[in-house]
Amino acid sequence: MIRLIEGAAAASPSHTAVVTPEGSTSYGELLHDARRVAAALQGRNITRFAIVEPDAAWVIRLLAGAALAGAEPCQYQADIEALEFEEQARALGHSVVVTRRPDLGGPLEIIRPQELTGQASHQIVQSAGAQPLMIRTTGTTGLPKAARHDWQFLARTVAGIRPMPNQRWLLAYGPHQFAGIQVLLHVIACQATLLAPFPRQPRDGLEALLTDRVTCVSATPTYWRFLLAEARSRKVKLPRLQQVTLGGEASPADLLEELKTSFPDARVSQVYASTEFGSVSSVKDGLPGIGVDALFSESNPTLNLRVKDGELWVRAVAGMIGYAGESGADPSIAAAEGWQATGDLVEIVGERVLFRGRKSEVINVGGVKVHPLPVEDRITSLESVALARVFGRANPLTGAIVAVEIIPMSGLAEADVESIRLEIKSAVADLPRAWHPRSVTFVDAFETRGEKTVRRMEE
Amino acid sequence: MGTDQSRARAVISQFLQRTNKSVDGMTDDTGLWGDGLGLDSLEAAELSAMLEDELGSDPFSAGGEMPERVGDIFAFYEAAPSE
Repeated sequence: MIRLIEGAAAASPSHTAVVTPEGSTSYGELLHDARRVAAALQGRNITRFAIVEPDAAWVIRLLAGAALAGAEPCQYQADIEALEFEEQARALGHSVVVTRRPDLGGPLEIIRPQELTGQASHQIVQSAGAQPLMIRTTGTTGLPKAARHDWQFLARTVAGIRPMPNQRWLLAYGPHQFAGIQVLLHVIACQATLLAPFPRQPRDGLEALLTDRVTCVSATPTYWRFLLAEARSRKVKLPRLQQVTLGGEASPADLLEELKTSFPDARVSQVYASTEFGSVSSVKDGLPGIGVDALFSESNPTLNLRVKDGELWVRAVAGMIGYAGESGADPSIAAAEGWQATGDLVEIVGERVLFRGRKSEVINVGGVKVHPLPVEDRITSLESVALARVFGRANPLTGAIVAVEIIPMSGLAEADVESIRLEIKSAVADLPRAWHPRSVTFVDAFETRGEKTVRRMEE
Repeated sequence: MGTDQSRARAVISQFLQRTNKSVDGMTDDTGLWGDGLGLDSLEAAELSAMLEDELGSDPFSAGGEMPERVGDIFAFYEAAPSE
């Protein structure tokens, strides 16, 4: 991270690195501030700290400074509730937090970000060894966990990237998410410009597309769907993007088609990654799923994906070192020669490995195993449906039934729900009967652990 | 609104409409299974979920005797304390 900023600052110190609502910051300024942060951290003997900060430029200053000093930063989402923050900071053993928020702290030592850039950077002991970084994840169980990473491993995924200073990337993820960190690394590695609006809702992203000359966007399929819906309802002309990246959830075929139509010049890539095993695969042909030629085999022994009992397994190249509170690597992974199960269910259809949902999400309907994803894909491809969430609902007659929550495209108040019910019925007619939704409810937002989102894989 | 029984009646007719089942000549004596409405377990599960959503409980999940006829469903709501 810090090495990449040094490279970018040496190449073109006045080139704009990041644009946020607080202003523009050049690579030269970032490096200058990162050095001050490093000196201040060392001067205060801080070896690990929490960050609660919405502004991406400040986040980069703090992360880069920490990397230079060898201190371990850990971001929490900028709008975390004060009590929740205190509880989680206690669980992760954080005693120092860098934040501008006046309501945070409790027993923690509070440092304002500006305090760390206030002093000249004359004495930095360059970290010879680790450049640790902790990334929190909700995981699939909903319990907060934190993965321990090292920038030097993470940077492997951007090694060899050519400088492309004219690219302008939208930050659609939170910088506290693994995918957000990947975008930061990628942008800095290609010495490009990051556009980081806050808040980070799809409508804010669309605004940046329309006014900030964005050329490249990486976001979740859900984010893309909302961005396209917003653009349609505002009847705006979308700019000609060079790069459209999807990640975090499986990408349905109809969405990939819509993106190709909306951005005809763009390369459409799907990234397969998670907080735990890092970035593993990138699919660039714009088709759903992953090509079977990306799978490990005797003739392709260096590839890092394989399918075992209908589940995708990976061999992490730039994965985490371990979870917080656990010292070494997981012995079961070592025993399997680095291979680990992802929990993503897949099916090989022809030349493609297609995603069928999460292992924990399989719905058992009277002994028939139903994968939510194909059901969800068919329903979300309907024009009257903005988003659909398929899940199991307990039922005494069949153990469970397939249930679906629908956010209508027209909004809940305007929706003709009986006609949408009929459309759903025809849309799933080709699936086995046990797969048909038996409980259809209409809502104006999904409530998942307090976040309005559909979540498949890890953040 | 109305009584639980009339709400149950409305749910059943909505269910039959959604599942394209014939309602011709249906009486309280019409059987739910086989020669009657011919529900299979998936359709019965759907009906039980609809009744639960509308009335808070349903005769298929209550643990008592499984309803045999349409009238058994109404009888359940007659006996059950209303919401």
